[in-house]
Amino acid sequence: MLISYLPILVYLIISIGLAVLIVALSEALGKKTHTAVKDLPYECGMVPISDARHRYAVKFYVITMFFLVFDIEAIFLYPWGVIFKPLGLFGLIEMGVFILILMVGLAYVWGKGALEWE
Amino acid sequence: MNLPILSILIFFPMLGVVLITMLSRENQWVIKWTTLVVAVLEFIFSLPIWFRFNSDTAAMQFVERLNWFPSYGISYHIGIDGISLLLVLLTTFLTPICVMACWKDIQDKVKEFMICLLFLETGMIGVFCALDLFLFYIFWEVMLIPMYLLIGVWGAPARRIYAAVKFFLFTMFGSLLMLVAILVLYFYHHKVTGVYTFDLLKIYGLQIPFQMQFWMFLAFALAFAIKVPMFPFHTWLPDAHTEAPTVGSVMLAAVLLKMGTYGFIRFNMPLFPEAAWYFVPLFSVLAIIGIIYGALVCMMQLDLKRLIAFSSVSHLGFVMLGLFTYNMAGVQGGIIQMINHGLSTGALFLIVGIIYERRHTRLIAEFGGLSTPMPIYAAIFMVVALSSIGLPGLNGFVGEFLILLGAFKVNKIYAILAASGVIFAACYMLWMFQRVMFGVVTNEKNRNLPDLSMREIAYLAPLILFIVWIGVYPNTFLDKTKASTANFVAQMERAKAPKVALVDVIKGDIR
Amino acid sequence: MTISIPSITLSNIGPLLTLTVAGLLLLLMDALTPKGKKGYFPYLSLIALVIAAVQTTMLWNRSGTDFARMIYVDNFAFFFYLIFLLATGLTILISIKYLEDYHRNLEEYYTLLIFATIGMMLMAAGGHLILIFLGLEILSIAIYILAGLFREDVKSNEAALKYLILGAFSSAFLLFGMAMLYGATGSLFLDDLAQAIKAGVGTNPLLLFGMGLLIVGFGFKVSSVPFHMWTPDVYEGAPTSVTAFMSVGTKAAAFAALVRIFFLVFPEIKMEWNMLLWGLAVATMTLGNVVAIAQTNIKRMLAYSSIAHAGYLLVALVAANQLGAISFLYYLVAYTLMNLGAFAIVILVARKKDDYINIYDYCGLGFQYPALAAAMSVFMFALAGIPPTAGFVGKFYVFSAAVEAGYIWLAIIGVMNSLISVFYYLRITVLMYMRPAEADLGPVTMTPAISSAVLVTAAGVLAIGVFPGPLYELALNSVKIFVGL
Repeated sequence: MLISYLPILVYLIISIGLAVLIVALSEALGKKTHTAVKDLPYECGMVPISDARHRYAVKFYVITMFFLVFDIEAIFLYPWGVIFKPLGLFGLIEMGVFILILMVGLAYVWGKGALEWE
Repeated sequence: MNLPILSILIFFPMLGVVLITMLSRENQWVIKWTTLVVAVLEFIFSLPIWFRFNSDTAAMQFVERLNWFPSYGISYHIGIDGISLLLVLLTTFLTPICVMACWKDIQDKVKEFMICLLFLETGMIGVFCALDLFLFYIFWEVMLIPMYLLIGVWGAPARRIYAAVKFFLFTMFGSLLMLVAILVLYFYHHKVTGVYTFDLLKIYGLQIPFQMQFWMFLAFALAFAIKVPMFPFHTWLPDAHTEAPTVGSVMLAAVLLKMGTYGFIRFNMPLFPEAAWYFVPLFSVLAIIGIIYGALVCMMQLDLKRLIAFSSVSHLGFVMLGLFTYNMAGVQGGIIQMINHGLSTGALFLIVGIIYERRHTRLIAEFGGLSTPMPIYAAIFMVVALSSIGLPGLNGFVGEFLILLGAFKVNKIYAILAASGVIFAACYMLWMFQRVMFGVVTNEKNRNLPDLSMREIAYLAPLILFIVWIGVYPNTFLDKTKASTANFVAQMERAKAPKVALVDVIKGDIR
Repeated sequence: MTISIPSITLSNIGPLLTLTVAGLLLLLMDALTPKGKKGYFPYLSLIALVIAAVQTTMLWNRSGTDFARMIYVDNFAFFFYLIFLLATGLTILISIKYLEDYHRNLEEYYTLLIFATIGMMLMAAGGHLILIFLGLEILSIAIYILAGLFREDVKSNEAALKYLILGAFSSAFLLFGMAMLYGATGSLFLDDLAQAIKAGVGTNPLLLFGMGLLIVGFGFKVSSVPFHMWTPDVYEGAPTSVTAFMSVGTKAAAFAALVRIFFLVFPEIKMEWNMLLWGLAVATMTLGNVVAIAQTNIKRMLAYSSIAHAGYLLVALVAANQLGAISFLYYLVAYTLMNLGAFAIVILVARKKDDYINIYDYCGLGFQYPALAAAMSVFMFALAGIPPTAGFVGKFYVFSAAVEAGYIWLAIIGVMNSLISVFYYLRITVLMYMRPAEADLGPVTMTPAISSAVLVTAAGVLAIGVFPGPLYELALNSVKIFVGL
């Protein structure tokens, strides 16, 4: 039984090994410079310790939301791709409707000027 | 010719309402005349039911039955017998009088006033005609709205809102419990007979276990006792009466209170006869307390309207005592006393209204010696006051005598105690009359009060006519009610109160 | 791998499709047409609603399920479709002028209303708990946005945020309950759940726990005590037209799902839930009515009154008989008419931005604007349950159902609550007719749209109050699906 999981184990070992290898290689071969900023813990490019009332342009949020919405909706296309053939024409029409609805959303967002940065 | 005469009577005032709605608000004169014409026509339309009424049968007459809501067993079923006949006529008779009485009194918002008055008339006639419990309940509740507005909008400024809301909530309280009882009755009827119906005549035949009768009687009785009002549910009455405009008080006293007593004789007693017998002592005692307490409180009143209001408590006590005797004399006395009280107390309120219109006060202390400037007024007031006291030859005597006669057959102590109420009535009424009318004029403002106008005489005269008529020859009216009363008494005699202790009934273990 | 594609009949969800298309179309048109030329949007939405209503009536008497048992196609659902369409239509009529006055006549408003309606319809028709949940979310998300429509108004923000947080909270309860039910029975189809309970998993604690969580989740949505805390604040803060829509639509939709679940799935184990709901009903009625007395803001008063009305509806749920189900449908129609009518008057009296929503602003209205005050009186008397209005007949059915099921005490508590409610409804008429106006508040401007809404609701309240027969027959026809009652 467990033998069927062997590929996963192998995959796991390879991926961990590769990561360790890369980190080790760069540690061994790379040139090291220390600056104040570089020694800070890594936090997605943000300064980790600062005032919490940090102002942030609202357009970032808007774009993020659009990305999330459309991205998540687009994920639905993947399972459809897997069973594209069994579903046949029915699936094609259904997904057409789905994509159409997404496009209406996109058109609305566009038409309202929400995609313009300035 | 087979006109649906009762339906016409019920809905003709509504036609008047529609008509008045379309009239211009500015034209008060037109509005008043239109209302008067509608009310008088209504009275004329109601005369045929008197003349074509067959006094030999206790069955419902002029019956109309239409399917209103068949799947729920609700029908538009109306009809009258001897008891409701008199009350319907009393209503149609008093409405034109009221319109005339408010001719000068109401100057503000006349249109709305007249709409309320006619709307009220529809509701009242509907209550007396309805033979379907659902229909009855609808009319019973609908009629609250115009009365509430009459008190609240046109009442005496100081406490009218308090009085109106109190009136509404008290009445509603009772009737909501009655609604639950009606529903219980409805489903019990279905359980026993398999038929869903709110038809009163069908439900009459139902045999209800005593335990259930006991509670249902109480639920119905609460609604009606508040309306009557019986001691100790009477506290809304003095407020409502005192604060209402004259016409409102007249309608309230003359007709609305009768709905309570009518409810007892039409619904409570025939539907739950065993419980009705069971409760005789309780209700008789409450009635007697009402008689004596009402009379005693009357003596202490400073306000004329309040005095008359409490005298209503006392008089309605007589009616209730009469009804709970379940014998011919007592019940007939009770019924005729309902009419008497309508006429006499209605007239008293009108009479007080007349001096209120002239002086804008109702305090007894403000008056004195009015008989000098207003002799005709004094004469009429005298007749009405004596009728209210129950002087032989006037209507009050007939009713009270019959009631005492009936009560005497049942329980001598009740009769003796109740008779004392007549004496008290003489005390407070005559004393009040003496303070207001006799002596020298002490208050300068009263010196030059004008006597009754033709209009005022015109609307008081018919009342006096009937006060004397009933007093001298009551058989005209008693004959009409005889068959129905006999039927009611026979119905009641078939049942007897079971000998059960109250505690056991409440605990629910009676076998 | 083969996937069997279920046979579907699109006409079975015709009204939903119409509304979806209309909603999308409105969105698209909103994006593409230039500003200032969008005055016809509300009327377009109304047309869509009318078409959906016509489609619904054409579907009437169809029965069964569709979309692999996901959707019930039956008169119960159709009846609710019509209630929702009526509510939305009336809301649109009363919104137009209101939004213009506040310069918030955003076209999205109508789209969101339509999407909310679709959500409500899914809740009424859902045959699968997840579908019901989806409907609820479609409805709720639209309402979260609508409640916060007045972006600059702090109270509107508060309303939206409160509703969002508590809505999410209640959704979690609901989902957890559904998960429990799945755990107990292995299915989320209502049919299967009913079968499983008949087969005897009724006393499985997992199932009872799930049922309890469902009650909590829906309790939030219908604002039953003790889950009512959000109601007054949200109702007060949200734009009045949205409040009107929420008080009627959300409640009706949540009750539609609740009734279907409880009357279809749980009638077998009535003993387990009716005492619980008995308590909820009593608490809801009593608290709603008693607290409403103390309110001076008419929107808050109507919020508490809507809590009380949820209590009356719970009475019908407790009764759990056919009459109870009928009274549900009837009461919701009556409530839709009278409550939306009352809110229409509130909008009219509020007079533009001045926001006259204190009950004392109604002083003297009776003789300044007789027709307006007469209509308000009709709504108040109807809400108080005084004949000959629809409100009375509705209460009459509800209490009939309770008495028939033997809950006489519940009926008595119910009628006593009606008495309490009379006090505060009556107060509005007292102020309108018996008090002089305190100050000159300026003229009330009527537009044809809002006048017709008032007219329709007032006439409807009286018409189905005087002739309750036809609607009763329709409702009777609709609840035949509950064979377990």
